[in-house]
Amino acid sequence: MLAYLLRRLGYLIFVVWGVSFAAFFIAQVVPGDPIAAALGSNARDAQIEAYRIKTGLDKPVWVQYSRYLNRLVKGDLGNSLRTRRAIAADLRDFFPATLELTLAAMVFAILFGLPTGLLAALYKDTVIDVGVRSLALIGGATPIYWLAILLISIFHTKLGWLPGPGRLDAFLIPPPEVTNMMSIDTLIAKDFEAFIDSIRHLILPAIVLGAFSTALLARMVRNTMIEVLAQDYIRTARAKGISERWVIVKHALRNGALPILTVLGNLLGSLLTGAVLTETIFSWPGIGSYATSSAISLDFPAVMGVTLVAGLTYAGINLFVDILYAFFDPRISYA
Amino acid sequence: MLKRMLILALGLLSFTVFAQSARQTTLVVGVDLGDLITLDPQVSYEFSGSLITDNLYETLVRFEGADLSEVKPALAESWSIEAQADGSHKIIFNLRDATFSSGNPVTAADVVYSFDRAIGIAGPSSFLFTDVAKMAVGSTVAANDKTVELSVPANANPNIVLNLLTFNIGGIVDSKVVMEHELDGDFGSAWIRENSAGSGPYVLERWDAGSQIILTANENASRVGSIKRVILRNMQESSAQQAALESGEIDVAYNFTPEAFNAAKSNADYTALQTDSFQMTYLGMNSGEGKPFADNRIRQAVRYAIDQDGIINNLLGGLGRKMQTIIPFGLFASDDTMYYTHDVEKAKALLAEAGAEDLTVEFLVSTGSCGGGIPCADLGAKIQSDLAEVGITANIRQLVQSELLDIYRAQGAELVVVGWSPDYPDPDGNATPLGDYNAKSLAWRNDWNNPASSELAAAAALESDSAKRGELYGQLTKLVAEEGPFAILYQPSVPIVTRAYVNDFIRNAQGNVDFDKVSKTE
Repeated sequence: MLAYLLRRLGYLIFVVWGVSFAAFFIAQVVPGDPIAAALGSNARDAQIEAYRIKTGLDKPVWVQYSRYLNRLVKGDLGNSLRTRRAIAADLRDFFPATLELTLAAMVFAILFGLPTGLLAALYKDTVIDVGVRSLALIGGATPIYWLAILLISIFHTKLGWLPGPGRLDAFLIPPPEVTNMMSIDTLIAKDFEAFIDSIRHLILPAIVLGAFSTALLARMVRNTMIEVLAQDYIRTARAKGISERWVIVKHALRNGALPILTVLGNLLGSLLTGAVLTETIFSWPGIGSYATSSAISLDFPAVMGVTLVAGLTYAGINLFVDILYAFFDPRISYA
Repeated sequence: MLKRMLILALGLLSFTVFAQSARQTTLVVGVDLGDLITLDPQVSYEFSGSLITDNLYETLVRFEGADLSEVKPALAESWSIEAQADGSHKIIFNLRDATFSSGNPVTAADVVYSFDRAIGIAGPSSFLFTDVAKMAVGSTVAANDKTVELSVPANANPNIVLNLLTFNIGGIVDSKVVMEHELDGDFGSAWIRENSAGSGPYVLERWDAGSQIILTANENASRVGSIKRVILRNMQESSAQQAALESGEIDVAYNFTPEAFNAAKSNADYTALQTDSFQMTYLGMNSGEGKPFADNRIRQAVRYAIDQDGIINNLLGGLGRKMQTIIPFGLFASDDTMYYTHDVEKAKALLAEAGAEDLTVEFLVSTGSCGGGIPCADLGAKIQSDLAEVGITANIRQLVQSELLDIYRAQGAELVVVGWSPDYPDPDGNATPLGDYNAKSLAWRNDWNNPASSELAAAAALESDSAKRGELYGQLTKLVAEEGPFAILYQPSVPIVTRAYVNDFIRNAQGNVDFDKVSKTE
C-alpha cells in the first residue's frame, strides 16, 4: 500500500509539472500584452516598460520559465499582475469559499441523487421511476444561469424564505478569518446566529451548483442498481431469506459502489473548477470568479496558479477515489 | 411571572430598538468591486479603490458634492499661489487642526511624506505627480508644523496641480504609522493595501477579498455623519443587485441595467439617480498617410453618418449624454456645441468629394462591454449599419479588450470603438491626450498630427488666467471636432438606484461619494 501511495505521489509530481508546463506555454502563445492589460488604456509607455521590468516579463521565455520553475519548487506561485499580491495569498482567500460551496453542492447531490436513483431502480418502470427520470432529465438540462435566477426570484424575492446572494447577512458581524469557510469560521467563533445564517446562504447556490450532479448521480445510481439487482448473487441472497433491506444495503449497494464512486470523484473535481457561473450570480467570492477576472485581464501568473491548484485537486481526488476502491472491493489490492 | 414577562418584553423591545438603530446608521451598498486591487491611496488607480480611499483619507483640497469646477478647503484651510521670478510657482498650504485615526496629529511632515511616497512608490498613478505636476522628491517642503510649500515648475500649471491633489494619490497618510509597517523600502504598501491610516471620516474595519469591505466611523475625524458603518458588498451581477435591493438587503445598487433603471424610476420605494461620469465612448479613425481616414472629408463623413441619438435612446436606454467635443460635460471649458448632425446625404456627398464611395475598413470592436455597460458588439453593429447607409463597409473584427488595446496602442487600428476617461478632473486630462500628437496618447494612436492642435493643448495646459484658458480650449474643441481623428459618441451616465429612505447619496463625476453626508430615514 505504501509503495503504491509513493508511486502515485510520484505521478502527482509529474502531473504538476505537466500542468505547469502546459499552462506556462499556453500563456505565451495567447495574444495580448498582459502588462498593458494590467495597467489599463490610459497607461503611459514608460509606465508599461517599468512594470514589465519589475515583473520580469521583459526577459526571454526560457529565463521566465526557469525562474517560474525555480519558484514553484519552493512553493512560490509568484505574484499576480492584477492584484499585485502573492498568488498563494489570493488562492488562500478564494479557494476555501469554492470548496465550501462545492462540498455543500456535493452533499445536496448525494442526499437527493442517491436515494432517488435507488428508488427508481427498486420501482423500475413505475410512476416513481418515470418521475425520477423526468426530474433527472430536467435537472441535467436546465442552464445554471436560468435556474439560479428562478430560485432567487422564488425563494428569496417572492417568498423571502432564503437569503439572496452573498455569504452572510450584511448586518451580522463576520467572524475572524481562520479557514475562510464562513460556516466553519462562524462555528469557531461560536457565533451560532451567524452560523445558521451562513448555512442559509449556502442553500440556494448549493442547489444550483449541485442540480446537474444530482441528476447525473440519480441516473447513474438507477442504472447501476438495476444491473446489480439482476445479478445471480442477489437472487441467491434473496433465496437464502435475507431481508430485502440487507440485500440492498450489503449486497447491491456495495457492489454498485465502484462506478458511483468514480462518478462522484469526477463530479467533485468538475464542480470545484466549474463553479464560475454560480459564483458570479451569487456574488460568491470563489476561485471561479477569481480565475475569470484573471483570465480577462491576461493575468497569466494567476491563471497558472489556479490551473495548478485545480490540477492538483483533481489528481488528489482521483487518488483518494482509487484508495477507496480497495476499501469497497476487497479484490482490489494495492499491495 | 408577570415581572419576568415584563423584563422579557423590555429586553425584546430594546433589542429591536438596537437593531433598528444599527440599520439606520449602517449603509449597505451593492457594487461590483471586481476592479479593487489595493486601498493604498498612493497606489490605487481603480474606481472602487478611489471610492473607498476617498472616505479613508483626506486630501489638502477637495471637491464638494457633485460640483467639480472649484476646489474647496479640506486638510488645508487656506492656500495661496505665489508666482516666482523664473516662471515657476509656489503653492503654500496652511493646515487646519486634524487628527489621524491613530490619535496622531496631522502635520506638514505627514504631507511631505505622503507626496514623496507617491513619487517613490512609482505606482500606476505616480505619473500624475511626476509627469503632469512635474513634482519630484523635495518639491514638497514643511515650512513649519502647519505650513506646506509645494514648488511647481514653470512647465506645469499650479491650477492643474490643485485639481490633481483632490485625487486619492494626494491622500495624506499617517507617516508614523505607515513607517512602522515599512518592509524592504516598500513605503508600507503591503500593509496599507488592506489597512487604513488616515484622517478621513471612516477607517477600514475589514476587507474580505472578493466579498466585502466594511468601513466604520473614524472617532477622531472632523467629518462626522450619521452613517457609522458602511458595507460595500461585491455584487458583480446586476440581477443580484436588483434582488438584494428589492428585499432590502442592500440600500444602494450601483449596477442596474438601463431597463431595470428605467423601471425603478416609477417605483415609489426607490430613488433612481442618473449620475454623471467623465467617461466618453468614441470612434478612433486612423488618419495617417495612406490610411483609410487620411482625408478629413472622410472623417467628417463618418461623423455625419453616425446616429448618436439612436445609440443613446435605443442602446443606452437614455443613460448617456450626446457629445461631440473632447472635453466632457462637468469639466471646466466643456463645449456643448453640436458641430454636426445625423445627415446621410451630407456624408455621402463628402465621401464622393473625397473619391471614397466604396471605402472598406477593418473595424476593431472589443468582446467586452463599452461605456454605459452595453455590449461593444451591439454598439459596433449599430455603427456598422450607420456606416453602411452612407456606403462605408466596416468589417468588424472582435477582439478581447487587452488585445485590441495592443493593436490600437501601436497605431495598428483603422477604425476602433473604445472609451476614455481623463486621469484627473481638469480639461487638460482630455485635451492633451486627444489633441496633442506629441503626448503619444490618443491623437498619436490615430496618427493625427496637427501642429495647431498640439500648440493649443500645450498653451492651454499652462495658461493660469482662466478666461484665456477657456478661450484656448474653445478653439481646441472646435478644431478637434471638425478635423480630429475622432467621432465622439456619448458620455455614459452611471445609473444608481437607492431605497427611497436613503438621502443625499451624491456621486460626483469622478465616482466619489462622501458616505458621511448620506443619511437614512427608515
